[in-house]
Amino acid sequence: MRIWRLLPLLWVLALVSTAEARQLAVITDTGNSTTNVTSAELTRILTGRTRSWPDGKPIRIVLRDPSSADMQVVARKLFNMEGDQARAFVRAHSDLIVVADSDDTVLRFVSSTRGAIGIVDLYSLTKGVNVVKIDGKLPVEQGYFLKGN
Amino acid sequence: MTLGTLRRVTIFAICLVATANAVTKDNPQKGVLPLTTKSKEVRHMLDEVWRLNLDEVQTAAADEVLRKALKIDPDFAFGHVLLSQCSLDPAEQVREQQKAFAMRAHASPGERLVIEWFQNAADHKLIPAITDMNEVLRRYPHDRWVVFLANWWLSQQTEYERAVAVFERSGITDSPGLMNNTAYTYAYMRQFDRAFALMEKYVAAMPNDPNPQDSYAEILRMAGHFDQAIRHYQAALAIDPQFYSSQFGIADTYSLMSDQVRAREEYRIGFEKFPSLPQLHRVQWQTRQATTFVREGNYPAADQAFQVIADQAHAKVMSQVEADTYRQMAIYQPEAKHAIRFLDKAEAAARQGRNAMPFAIQQETAQVLRARVEVALKAGNKKMASSALNRLTQLSQTSNDKVIESAYHGAAGAVSFADAKYNEAMSHLEEDVNNPLSLQRLAAAYQKVGYGTEAKRVSETLANLNDPTLEQAMVVPAFRKCYEDPDCAGNLRNASLKK
Repeated sequence: MRIWRLLPLLWVLALVSTAEARQLAVITDTGNSTTNVTSAELTRILTGRTRSWPDGKPIRIVLRDPSSADMQVVARKLFNMEGDQARAFVRAHSDLIVVADSDDTVLRFVSSTRGAIGIVDLYSLTKGVNVVKIDGKLPVEQGYFLKGN
Repeated sequence: MTLGTLRRVTIFAICLVATANAVTKDNPQKGVLPLTTKSKEVRHMLDEVWRLNLDEVQTAAADEVLRKALKIDPDFAFGHVLLSQCSLDPAEQVREQQKAFAMRAHASPGERLVIEWFQNAADHKLIPAITDMNEVLRRYPHDRWVVFLANWWLSQQTEYERAVAVFERSGITDSPGLMNNTAYTYAYMRQFDRAFALMEKYVAAMPNDPNPQDSYAEILRMAGHFDQAIRHYQAALAIDPQFYSSQFGIADTYSLMSDQVRAREEYRIGFEKFPSLPQLHRVQWQTRQATTFVREGNYPAADQAFQVIADQAHAKVMSQVEADTYRQMAIYQPEAKHAIRFLDKAEAAARQGRNAMPFAIQQETAQVLRARVEVALKAGNKKMASSALNRLTQLSQTSNDKVIESAYHGAAGAVSFADAKYNEAMSHLEEDVNNPLSLQRLAAAYQKVGYGTEAKRVSETLANLNDPTLEQAMVVPAFRKCYEDPDCAGNLRNASLKK
């Protein structure tokens, strides 16, 4: 027996593990006043077409390898590429995009770098960063853009 | 002094020595959460709570010790949050979380973070809840209470990999309670080899205790090893004939083995032998007992059995339990008008919202609306389906709640599937993969659009689902029958049933 408490989950959900959609959060350093970006703006930022924030600060991008399983949705929805193509793009733009090996590294980079923007799993979020809305929505809100397997 | 008492006193003494060592060796820098109670006695009682609640899973006894501890130190805010999380009484869960939050000023910064994490979770503020949890884990990665609470909360969020990672990074390798919890998490991920390996360690660590045998049995049952499961339940009862969970575990197992007569007999023995079960445990097994009639297709008998539970819940002012009981009654009704009547009662009970966390009531309301969509589709009433789905959409748009969102996607997927919009259905149903009804539709939708591998994977998951819930009863046995019938057209022909 495992300890438990009353939740509808107990009755409604048989606990099985299948490929549930992950949600990714866009984060910036806490000094950044941008609270919302459109998905199109985000694509322009990640592909280097927009290189500074509205206040003129240069944008520093940090991502996990976009060909990794967790980042497929970023490759597909933001780079409009397959994982391997996105990886090649990122490698070819190493002056623009820093590749991190984990969400922790992304969070550390963003929290300590002015003008930084990164993408992490929702459940990796920590206090030292801002979460930016995409198209007016935060992760966990219905219709949030960066969600998928 | 009985042998059992002697054993417990010995374990308690060992725990005290271990804790004393831990207190002298550990400090906040080493990752241990500082507990703000001035009372030494309360600290010792917390060790007892850990042993009872985590290692032995005697939750009611653990709650009793926590209540006594909080009488000694009513300002111990972290104690209140623990009782809120561990209580088997919904009203107490609500009360204690409120007390914990009100008293957070008395707590250490780490304890305050834990209190705020659960307050945010209760208030549907998922992002702050996550950041609070991660901050607590960053500061105190080796604290057993923090590891337990994070592992447990993440499992509830179906973040199983992360839940396991919290345990693995903690470096705590000798805690039977954490072994037990993590083994369950592996089982939810259907990584049964890892779950069994941890269970072997748990049994070896506590060879004279019934819970390791009971947990092992439950995980074997989840894996479909029913005969072995019953042997382990019997071993638990041989160690402690009062360990009621194992008696009901045997009943649950017979029910999953399709022997409903024997299952009901075992439930009857359980209720007779253990008349003073904690409220929520009683509800859980009464519900499963009622479900045996659904498994037999004997709906009038099921109605009677479920109605008893609903009446008890009403009398004890447990709104969520009452609502959920009526919701379940609606699900199996062959006639839509009866189902709708029960759903009306379910919504009325949920609206009362007594003795339940507000988030739990909203989750329940979402489940009721989802059931309305199912009932409407079964009756071919698209207008009703659309109206219920609209209400559910509004609810999910205003809440950051995984359970509510899953309910929305399950319902939206059902509507799309009924309209033969299979691609649209798939994208919704993939967001509700813990519900057998959605899994069944998802497998069929994959099949319809020619995703054979995906259809097979989902079919296998569904065919091997051994959970004694009503939803499992409604879907899985029929699904398996189709598998065994070579003439049955559909999605599960290639699935393998692991027995």
